[in-house]
Amino acid sequence: MSEESTRRLAAIMMADISGYSRLMGADERGTHLRVQRLFRELIDPTIAEHRGRLVKTRGDGFLSMFDSPVEAVRCAIVIQQSMVGQNLELPHDQRIRFRIGVNLGDVIVEPDDIYGEGVNVAARLEQLAEPGNIYISGGVYEQIRYKLVCGYQSLGDRRVKNIVDPVPIYRVLPDPAALARATRGNRMRLGLIGLGTIIIVGIGGGGGWYMWKRTTEQHLQAVAAATQAPVQPVPPLPAPAPLPAPESRAVAPPTPTRPVADPQAPAIPPPAASTASAPPPPAPPATAPAPQMQIAVVPPQLPIAQPEATPAVAEPEMIPVAGGTFRMGSNEDPSEQPIHSVAVAAFLIGKYPVTVRQWRDCVKAKACDYVPNGGDDAPVNNVSWTDAHQYVGWLSRTTKQRYRLPSEAEWEYAARGGTDTRYWWGNAMKPGLADCKGCGGLHDAVEPAKVGTLPANPFGLHDIGGGVAEWVEDCWHKDYRGAPADGSAWLGTDCRARVLRGGSWRNDASYVRSASRDYYDASVRYPTHGIRVVRSP
Amino acid sequence: MLTRRIVLSSLLPLVAAGAVAAKTPAPKEAYLYIIWPTDGTVVKGAFWCRFGLRNMGVTHAGDATPNTGHHHLLIDVDEPLDPNEPIPSDKKHMHFGAGQTEVRLELPPGAHTLQLVLGDAEHIPFDPPVVSRKIRIVVT
Repeated sequence: MSEESTRRLAAIMMADISGYSRLMGADERGTHLRVQRLFRELIDPTIAEHRGRLVKTRGDGFLSMFDSPVEAVRCAIVIQQSMVGQNLELPHDQRIRFRIGVNLGDVIVEPDDIYGEGVNVAARLEQLAEPGNIYISGGVYEQIRYKLVCGYQSLGDRRVKNIVDPVPIYRVLPDPAALARATRGNRMRLGLIGLGTIIIVGIGGGGGWYMWKRTTEQHLQAVAAATQAPVQPVPPLPAPAPLPAPESRAVAPPTPTRPVADPQAPAIPPPAASTASAPPPPAPPATAPAPQMQIAVVPPQLPIAQPEATPAVAEPEMIPVAGGTFRMGSNEDPSEQPIHSVAVAAFLIGKYPVTVRQWRDCVKAKACDYVPNGGDDAPVNNVSWTDAHQYVGWLSRTTKQRYRLPSEAEWEYAARGGTDTRYWWGNAMKPGLADCKGCGGLHDAVEPAKVGTLPANPFGLHDIGGGVAEWVEDCWHKDYRGAPADGSAWLGTDCRARVLRGGSWRNDASYVRSASRDYYDASVRYPTHGIRVVRSP
Repeated sequence: MLTRRIVLSSLLPLVAAGAVAAKTPAPKEAYLYIIWPTDGTVVKGAFWCRFGLRNMGVTHAGDATPNTGHHHLLIDVDEPLDPNEPIPSDKKHMHFGAGQTEVRLELPPGAHTLQLVLGDAEHIPFDPPVVSRKIRIVVT
């Protein structure tokens, strides 16, 4: 160490990726590239934004220092919440989860490294932290407790290797209410949640805060349930527990963190469904006010076992589409390029978009969360992609058919109906053929036209242009470079957004072209979005 | 046009299913701004646009917690926004309903404007609207 090195007080943040060697073992190059990208797109800019300095990186982590402990912890929060967002759509074994420790201490600063006890304690905190968590030392806690409205859960004093005095350790929680739940295990403090969220997000400006809160809470509840016997008497069989009933039904869309609607395998009935033809477990007592929010929140929403003797449901009318090859895309927008050949196998597709009446059957069966508005024959709208998956999953289980969302290629193939023009009837908009803004005909700005209002295209599909934009299975990719040529849905690892096709009644004519593509967050509802189902012959 | 508006706003309470008022109130001190890029910035190629919000919180769409909303980024939008309707969703109106606070933008070279609008649970602007200053940037 040179004479020139300086000592100073700094907030030191140490982070590492939990299970890094496992990730590398599974996919060395892919993991390396993902981590590099994380540094480039998330970690470097976030540290800079909080006026910190990235001291050094390892393959699986990094060391950084900040002038202010508040900034350091904010930075840690932003990183953790962003990771929650990034991990959402990934299978568990591919998730990158950081453990982060923050300490305040005197360090020796060299041009390209820092040394000292302060760094060692930060490293120790990081090793103690659960994946996805932030642990801070007592020194940091004293500095930030009144400045950053979070929950801080004391984990007591821990002895740290080679450090004389035990170090008080705190876990940073999303908000004070989470702390209350974690330690006492009762009663939601909704107001505080709101407040915590507002203040933190206001300060830190973070995307996945809410989601981080959810996961942390679930984690905490799991911990609390596991460690603190007196929490609540959990029913011996965790029957499809009382869903977070009244408050979630009205507004909350399916929360992204819920592993709802296992998107890859929508059609497979839950194991329970085949055997449990008996009435569903007596579990959901419709009105039981469940004073223990603890239990109510923990289980993800499970597909509810369908009684066998379901009365006939309003099944969408399906029309067969012969397989074939077509040119997908156009040169009108970069997202539609390159135009490429796709071979599509035969399938059946809904003659109309799914209607409100059809969707209501799913709601009645308690398999769809979203309760639609609108007349019976209106296309169901304001559904998220996640909602759509609940619907096709339920429809498949109920009818014993493999209903699903179309792939993007299947959708465009069916929508074109053998044509290669902008619209299935030609290159110019004509009144009465599409339900869109400024397209003429009986267009209503407030709601989509009833299904069947628009004439059928050459394949017999109605309501193709405008009306509700229709979710397809594919993840959003900004153009067709690398797209499959076999008509399958194009998935991928970064799949927060899914594709919508056909444009909506609130879009202009350019959006209802056969080749036009749009996307939206899969978990989010928007009024112009609906669905059309397909199934294989 | 005026009558149309009135019809629209009279319908809204129905759509909002039991909401007391058609519009979601926002605190007066709410402040929405674009952290980066700043007004007049010349950027090269793709860039991260970061959203700032003070005195309100960011949440996901569909969450009606008071004083929270989600971001919408308006790119080269000149038409006024209808305060009573969900913010449009198209190539010029980007939605961040999962609670995102930044986006990687790839705009064609030339001058562009960027402006943020906060939407409530139903993607409708608040009352008063929480809108950022419209900034101008140049992409080279």
